Amino acid sequence: MKKDKHRRNILGRLQRTPKWEKEEFKEIEYEPTPVKDLLTEMKDISELMIDLAYSAILFNSEEIAEEVRFLEVRMDKLNYDIRMMTMMAARSKDDAEQLAGILQIAQAAEKLSNAAGDIVRLMSKKQEPILPKILRQADERLFRTKISEKSAACGQQIGNLRVESETGMRIIGIRRENCWIYNPQSNNMLLANDMLIVRGTDDGFKELNDFLMGKQQVLE
Amino acid sequence: MNGSTIEKKVLEIKDTSELMIDLAYSSLLYDNKTIAEEVYDLENDIDEKYDQLQREILSEVQKGNLSVDAAIVLMNLSRAGEEIADAAREIADVELRDVELHPIIKLSIRESDEVITKVQVLEQSILCGKNLGDLKLGTDTGMTVIAMRHGNNWLYGPNKKTCIDPHDILFAKGPEDGEKHLIALAKGETNEI
Repeated sequence: MKKDKHRRNILGRLQRTPKWEKEEFKEIEYEPTPVKDLLTEMKDISELMIDLAYSAILFNSEEIAEEVRFLEVRMDKLNYDIRMMTMMAARSKDDAEQLAGILQIAQAAEKLSNAAGDIVRLMSKKQEPILPKILRQADERLFRTKISEKSAACGQQIGNLRVESETGMRIIGIRRENCWIYNPQSNNMLLANDMLIVRGTDDGFKELNDFLMGKQQVLE
Repeated sequence: MNGSTIEKKVLEIKDTSELMIDLAYSSLLYDNKTIAEEVYDLENDIDEKYDQLQREILSEVQKGNLSVDAAIVLMNLSRAGEEIADAAREIADVELRDVELHPIIKLSIRESDEVITKVQVLEQSILCGKNLGDLKLGTDTGMTVIAMRHGNNWLYGPNKKTCIDPHDILFAKGPEDGEKHLIALAKGETNEI
């Protein structure tokens, strides 16, 4: 997909537990990046973070919570970048008026990421049973499943399988051995024994799960 | 008031706040003040529900029906929903100011992982006269309908019972390839769901 090319490699990368503490107070340095790319990344990350935050508390996963904290730090950095870029872009009163709107949206995306951060703070060693109970009643739910070796999905790219457009299920994260791929892109591949966290309806999950278990040979 | 009504209300705040984010971005993408105003109304609604909910949770604790730990979880979960709703309102705010939107705003929303689309349902479309529950658009095209315009009326966050009529305008979000499929269905170019 064309847009993947522009994307910096924060999303859809295979990684070990992120080091968010190291990221936290990195020096701020002016680095020319198109405002459009920054805003898109902020929008995508903020939405991903909400899903990850609910996944973390639903599945009681410290690793996913850690990724949320990492992305929270990343958002702070992006927010600095977008402020610098918009300031550089303002040449007139009209520019300033229009660019203020962009900063307002960036600010809102950052607020979303803070809300996600607050959600993961609900995690504790002893999970409060009311949490999964509530989250399981939502319209769009989060599910966890593993890809069987028998599945036709093995070795296929997510984009070719058209997972989301065939089942409505959105893949939020993939756990592969000790690594994670968060927000996989269309060119990320699915492998046997990958553990997936997906979001969508019960019907969609049933369909996808049958395919990933090898009970169905095609997604349609 | 029992525990399960409280759970329902927490969930309502969660689901509504997520819908609001989608609506807020849609309002910017289609320069649509009506949708932006709806986000404002929903936000007021959530504020009220949140205040009510806090009281209800505390009174259940007082009556001994709810543990302190569970109450803290419920309060924080609904507060996060309330924050998300606030953020949605801030996004919609940009649309409601009398300033022309910077072109970058639309471009960056378009380039995002999940696209938002708007399409009018034509008479020859297979979608006409069916309700969303039977159509299962979400499962079969990946597109979730977030708002509909029926004549001069708007419907936000339609449910399974919502019926699609000819000339309705659908606002939906989902993956890029799902968008093409939905548009083809709405225009009657394909009958395969």
